[in-house]
Amino acid sequence: MRVWRFAAALLLVAAVLAVYRWVLAVNAVTAALTLLLAILAISTLWGLAEATVASIAAVLGFNYFFLEPIGTLTIQDPQNIVAFVAFLITAVTTSQLSAYARRRTAEAEAGRLEMERLHALVQTMMLRGSARNTASEFVQDVMQAFGCSAAAFYYRPGGEVFRSGPETGSVGRAATDAVSDDALRAAAEALDVSVDRERGIALAPVRLGVRSLGSMALISAPPSEQTLRAIGNLAAIAIERARAFDEASRSESARQSEALKTALLDSLAHDIKTPLTSIKAAVTSLLEAAQPSQRELLTIIDEEADRLNRLAAEVVAMARIEAGKLHLEKRPVAAAEIVSNALSALPADARPVTVNVAPELPLVDADPEFAAQVVKQLVENALKYSPGGSPVVVSAERRDARIVIGVADRGPGIEENERARIFDKFFRGRLHRFDTKGTGMGLAIAKGIVEAHGGRIWVESEPGQGSVFYFALAAIGGREN
Amino acid sequence: MSAGKILVVDDDPQIRRVMKATLVGHGYEVTEARTGEEALEGLSGEMPNLVLLDMNMPGIGGLETCRAICAGSDIPVIILSVRNTEKDKVAALDAGADDYVTKPFGIEELLARIRAAMRRSPSSPEGGPRAFASGDLEIDFETRHVRAQGRDVRLTPKEFDLLRYLVMHAGKPVPHRELLQAVWGPDYGDEPEYLRVFVNQVRKKIEANPSKPKYIVTEPWVGYRFVADL
Repeated sequence: MRVWRFAAALLLVAAVLAVYRWVLAVNAVTAALTLLLAILAISTLWGLAEATVASIAAVLGFNYFFLEPIGTLTIQDPQNIVAFVAFLITAVTTSQLSAYARRRTAEAEAGRLEMERLHALVQTMMLRGSARNTASEFVQDVMQAFGCSAAAFYYRPGGEVFRSGPETGSVGRAATDAVSDDALRAAAEALDVSVDRERGIALAPVRLGVRSLGSMALISAPPSEQTLRAIGNLAAIAIERARAFDEASRSESARQSEALKTALLDSLAHDIKTPLTSIKAAVTSLLEAAQPSQRELLTIIDEEADRLNRLAAEVVAMARIEAGKLHLEKRPVAAAEIVSNALSALPADARPVTVNVAPELPLVDADPEFAAQVVKQLVENALKYSPGGSPVVVSAERRDARIVIGVADRGPGIEENERARIFDKFFRGRLHRFDTKGTGMGLAIAKGIVEAHGGRIWVESEPGQGSVFYFALAAIGGREN
Repeated sequence: MSAGKILVVDDDPQIRRVMKATLVGHGYEVTEARTGEEALEGLSGEMPNLVLLDMNMPGIGGLETCRAICAGSDIPVIILSVRNTEKDKVAALDAGADDYVTKPFGIEELLARIRAAMRRSPSSPEGGPRAFASGDLEIDFETRHVRAQGRDVRLTPKEFDLLRYLVMHAGKPVPHRELLQAVWGPDYGDEPEYLRVFVNQVRKKIEANPSKPKYIVTEPWVGYRFVADL
């Protein structure tokens, strides 16, 4: 192809010389300008090498046919020497300028083509869905966009290597095998692209900032290094975007399943409490006008309905805590308010409790209802497990950045080996396993509530002397009103 | 003679049965509805004196039904619900309910609350003033008519009773418990959230700037105080 272009260039110069020498018999200036035009045309159409060869031929021919003495390659008239040199310089400069412009055009065209390919690649990559899919389809996408015969991609988060498949034929297969998995893994650590033009293999890391997402290999006709970097960056962005998308849809589905759990727990509570409502309303209605002989039995039904109701409430509360579905509505609240709310929720006939809240306490950041439920549970336990008439003291004080609320009783105390397990679900103390009503969930629920607040609950006890249950909640800035 | 007509709205047939048997036994007339829609349809015919409304029902649900009843009438509504968080209670009271009873409940408690909700304090208590005016607030205790900021204001019966009690004790802080018992009845006292909701509603209706009230001010940790405009 190239040879023909050289031949054509020489032919064109020869034609101009022949026509002007023998057919039209023009002067030297016309011949020189026409030859320059011809050289310009050659360098524009075909390039610098062709134009240079044509220039040399033109200079020789011009000298031979148009400068005195005609028919020789020597120049007699000094004026003609100047004209000859001017012609020579002009011919070479024109052809160079023209070739330069031509090269720039070609480069711009190549740049535009690469941009188009990159754009096409991005568009297809954006449609691939999940991050893994984006990575696995990348080899096909990049082959299609850049016309490589084979490609490979190492997806680091999944530790997988994707290669262009059997549809690329045995040539492609063999070509991808030219890049080993190890080479791909090494490329993921590399700082920049590496191109082996001889073997036609280009390797590039795929990274976003400092985070490596893997590497890629393009085999045969690798594009420029700049384009390779661009492809690597685009692949990284596309994969990262898909990963963010995966993450978002995962958290959305997690949220939905959480919402479902909450709905199930709510409907469970509703379904248990609805029949209890009928039982309770019916039995309390009967109790109003009951004969003494029936009163005892009806009272048992009433009490057991209450117990079932508590049990249901505790089971649901426990399930909610274990599902991490405790819905805290925290606000700054005074320890005194928590304690007084808890005590006002005790039965009217409960033993009096001594309250000992330190003055000027900072507020705590807590859900007032749940915090009061913890205090109520601890006070109920204290009342239940200590002899009638013995004091139960609720206290609140500041310890560093925390407010510690304590409930002290003069009960039998808790043996050391039971202290750690007392907050476990269904654990019942050895002394009380058979003699007290309860579900064994009260303290586990209290612990769940306190821990959901980021607080801590514990017990200090001296067997025979009594126990003190404490829980600590974070204090916040302001002072108690 | 009937002690009053009560509409029981609950999707659970057993609860309706128990309610009917018990309430009829206590001299009430009882009508039933299975859903909120059915309750609202029935209301256009015979007006009950009170509605017992289940919160959690299929269809439009208790809260919506409550809003619809309260928007069109002065019939007191007691919400019955298995949920006992303060948030649920406040939502029910905000929707216009007079009271909130957590399921399961003892029948004595429910009867006491029914009596409290149906009890209407006389339009002008003995010895009290017949009318009150202060700044841009005018109250006619006889016709239960209130004007504020130059506009007629419609208060629900409980809202009116609350405002009247505070006005009667203008200048003095009224403790939570006293106010609850004066407006709802002697069985009340531990429901400060009721006061929060109703005081907010009244403020929205009579105050120029409800977030900076000038008539009904909060006395922290005590209760509320009515300030007559000077």
